[in-house]
Amino acid sequence: MTDVELPETPLLDELEKGPWPSFVKEIKRAAIEQEKAMKAGKKIKLPGAAKGLLKVLELAYKEKRTHWKHGGIVAVVGYGGGVIGRYCDLEDKVPEVWHFHTMRINMPSGWFYQTKALRAICDAWEKWGSGLTNFHGSTGDIILLGTRTEYLQPMANALAYLDKLYGSPAPFDIGGSGSDLRTPSACMGPALCEFACYDTLKACYEFTMRYQNELHRPMWPYKFKIKCSGCPNDCVAAKARSDFAIIGTWKDEIQIDQEAVKEYAKVIDIEKQVVKKCPTGAISWDGKELKIDNRECIRCMHCINVMPKALKPGKERGATILIGGKAPFVDGAIIGWVAIPFIPENELIEKCCEVLEAIWEWWDEEGKFRERVGELIWRKGMDEFLKVINQKADVRMVYAPRNNPFIFWRELNQ
Amino acid sequence: MVAQEVEKEPEETVEIKTDFGPPHYEIMLHPIIKKNYGKWKYHEVVRPGVIKRVAESGDVLYVVRFGSPRLLSVYTVRDICDIADKYSDGYLRFTSRHNVEFFLTDPDKIEPLIQEVQEKLGFPCGGTWDATKGEYGLSNIVHTQGWVHCHTPATDASGIVKSVMDELYDYFTDHKLPALCRISLACCANMCGAVHASDISMVGVHRKIPKIDDDAVRRTCEIPSTVAACPTGALKPDMKRKTVILDKDKCMYCGNCYTMCPGMPIFDPENDGVAVLVAGKISDARYPPQLSKVVVPWLPNNPPRWPEVVQTVKKILETWATHAEKYERIAEWIHRIGWERFFELTGLEFTEKLIDDYKRTPYIYASYRTSAAFRW
Amino acid sequence: MTEEVNKEELKQKVLEYLAKKPWQVRDLAKVLRVKKRELDKIVQELINEGKAAYWSSGSTTYVTTKDKLEEMEKKRSGT
Ligand code: HEM
Ligand code: HEM
Ligand code: HEM
Ligand code: SF4
Ligand code: SF4
Ligand code: SF4
Ligand code: SF4
Repeated sequence: MTDVELPETPLLDELEKGPWPSFVKEIKRAAIEQEKAMKAGKKIKLPGAAKGLLKVLELAYKEKRTHWKHGGIVAVVGYGGGVIGRYCDLEDKVPEVWHFHTMRINMPSGWFYQTKALRAICDAWEKWGSGLTNFHGSTGDIILLGTRTEYLQPMANALAYLDKLYGSPAPFDIGGSGSDLRTPSACMGPALCEFACYDTLKACYEFTMRYQNELHRPMWPYKFKIKCSGCPNDCVAAKARSDFAIIGTWKDEIQIDQEAVKEYAKVIDIEKQVVKKCPTGAISWDGKELKIDNRECIRCMHCINVMPKALKPGKERGATILIGGKAPFVDGAIIGWVAIPFIPENELIEKCCEVLEAIWEWWDEEGKFRERVGELIWRKGMDEFLKVINQKADVRMVYAPRNNPFIFWRELNQ
Repeated sequence: MVAQEVEKEPEETVEIKTDFGPPHYEIMLHPIIKKNYGKWKYHEVVRPGVIKRVAESGDVLYVVRFGSPRLLSVYTVRDICDIADKYSDGYLRFTSRHNVEFFLTDPDKIEPLIQEVQEKLGFPCGGTWDATKGEYGLSNIVHTQGWVHCHTPATDASGIVKSVMDELYDYFTDHKLPALCRISLACCANMCGAVHASDISMVGVHRKIPKIDDDAVRRTCEIPSTVAACPTGALKPDMKRKTVILDKDKCMYCGNCYTMCPGMPIFDPENDGVAVLVAGKISDARYPPQLSKVVVPWLPNNPPRWPEVVQTVKKILETWATHAEKYERIAEWIHRIGWERFFELTGLEFTEKLIDDYKRTPYIYASYRTSAAFRW
Repeated sequence: MTEEVNKEELKQKVLEYLAKKPWQVRDLAKVLRVKKRELDKIVQELINEGKAAYWSSGSTTYVTTKDKLEEMEKKRSGT
């Protein structure tokens, strides 16, 4: 059927079997269709890249090792990140993927798209790259997988003029990598979710636009990530995956619609599924009325999750800032901890910017090479950090006070 | 080839433009979403994969979710666009876990959409859960690059994910679990996928120090920056021989030196493999966020289908699913039954490798038990 | 006036250092005993002038000269 010949890949072929969609099929599809497109007269700068990847990957499967080498090239004028350099160590055997650099493209807040935009990206990448992508990389960027050094700039230009050259509703810019602000990301928030306690998409967009320089020209000790979740469910895993997590919450009472509670009572066991599962025992239910002791409620979201029609976060909304979240490299994994317990919604973006800038200045000055901000706080102490962000201590920052009296009374020992 | 004078492409002649940022999200929003922005009233799960969202205005939107392999060819992305044009007014969304979502206003189109996606793309509908009923589906596996593109992986990413999801397919398309379960994979301990707070995670681990090829080091490397790249100070320059010396007792097998210096590869086919972690959690619901804990220190790389890893993950998932109460995520379940019972029920072996001895972590001793209150 | 000259001198010196190996700007600032922020600006100028260039490990970023970068990448790509 196809007149395109593919390399033999007995091991990879195994991964075409089974019900889950197959990445091997995707690579093969790119190999076949890109070649067909070229034969049909389309401009294709990097023919055979997907085919080359099949060869390299089959060998990796056979030998149980990678065949990629790191390259440090960025090669897009004006940018210090957003490109991951890759060379294959099988250069003469598989020249098609000798260079196989990745580009990270800043996605729109919340990963919403018009098809016109996606089609335009596809057309540009079919021409200038391997035709392979990731939707999305784990930081959130669109990942364009594999091109040569000399095509990095033209592809960046294609994206920068994606509206004019390819009919996209807007151009796309390059995302972050290296020691910079990484592409901020956000949950779908108010676009689709009734739990959102602040506008996550707007916040994410504002930070991205305001800090273009920090995103594109890495100068810090290491990476810095900002993620916006609209409520404590934290659907973008901001607490674990970002140095600066903005988690929506509220201060006043959970809003209750008693009629809707009664409707739920017909289909679920409120006592068992809601009352007993409340971590602080704040809820009671007598079969007629659901009562929540809002002094006891810790705003964990469980009851709201179970009865979204009946319960809603309160009206006094805002967000909690958690600082320091990161993967284990190098001093161990950290889930972000509370830096600012509550910022009201209407002050949120401005306050975050003020705090971010203070943190960056301090960290850029004091941080060691490859020290994430959480590790710097460990080294320097929370008391210093709180001074940096001009924040008073609050018992909500700890599970318990310290268990030793070895306090550094620096103010008495100048 | 390169030197030929050819006609310039438009991309090669445009003026360079920087720092204009991503598209504004508003132009990417479906008209119904834009109209009801911030004014959603509630949601209801119609069937696995389909969430009905109702706005205060009375507008209704059906969000239909499908699992994707994350690695997509532009040709498949175009097919996705065709489907979005046909059913979803030219709009769509991806989720943080590599799923793709379409927006329907007409409930009668749900079934045809699911049919067409299954036929054209082979993507399954699912990945959702119904918190009201306390019935949960498994979402897609967040993962990284592996042998497809990275230089430091200790295992592949896409291949294991495919193998695990094939095995757990029905959990994705149905709501058969008692609570949320997030699975993720990172192909080395750098953990680009940040899998350190997932219910179940798989992490590629190297177990051998890099192999220094003195000759290649001399040819390809900057000795000072290679030495400086080592986070544990395990490397020293050897000025005389123009190479580096490695203190094997200090090395944590992170591969950072290999990033700087292609002359000291970290991969090792027989000794690289996969560790399995459990009981991480991120949401605040009921129980505070938790880091994942290692329960299997190493499993072999056995491509193309990694049966050992697949079976271990399945065993953990199914043991939990049969023993947990409604809403009890793995962390909460283990908190109730105790780690003694976890190892007993799953049949996993507890060994000295699972007692923390990574001294750089300030909280190293926090996991040591300080009471004689045991379960026997 | 003298400031201008000093800056040019410093820029030249920075280039000399960058030609030796890829640097973290903060480390070079210590070696040259200048404020990191000041060096950031100089390095940025050199980059804009096309004399210096970034080298990225993927997770961290270095700066070196354009020639050194090309040499490094050539060695890595195995040509
Ligand atoms: C020393 C630590 C780290 C190093 C050396 C490192 C290095 C790299 C490299 C070389 C890549 C490129 C992979 C490729 O496309 O070939 C990469 C990708 C990536 N890294 Fe890291 N990384 C580190 C830690 C992290 C951490 C802690 C995170 C997140 C919390 C992270 C997030 C990412 C993401 C999102 C990607 C994109 C690839 C993907 O989506 O899978 N990295 N990293
Ligand atoms: C209105 C829409 C949504 C609602 C109501 C919602 C609700 C929730 C709830 C209730 C939890 C916590 C569950 C628990 O711990 O018991 C949660 C966690 C999570 N959600 Fe969502 N979610 C929504 C949209 C999404 C979407 C679109 C995604 C992306 C696929 C997503 C990704 C996640 C993730 C990754 C977590 C896990 C965080 C963790 O590990 O604890 N959510 N969400
Ligand atoms: C919402 C969160 C939590 C709830 C509702 C909760 C609830 C409980 C309850 C009811 C007990 C008593 C069990 C019994 O005596 O049989 C208990 C015991 C215990 N919990 Fe939690 N817990 C929570 C979080 C945590 C966390 C975060 C940790 C540690 C990381 C923890 C560690 C323990 C330990 C070690 C015990 C046993 C104490 C002993 O035997 O004296 N709990 N927890
Ligand atoms: S984090 Fe909260 S607001 Fe955001 S999508 Fe998840 S449940 Fe909704
Ligand atoms: S939000 Fe959580 S703590 Fe508050 S009442 Fe509901 S279940 Fe209880
Ligand atoms: S987790 Fe490790 S191997 Fe995987 S992409 Fe990230 S750095 Fe590369
Ligand atoms: S693998 Fe990591 S710890 Fe070991 S020598 Fe290399 S950089 Fe150092």
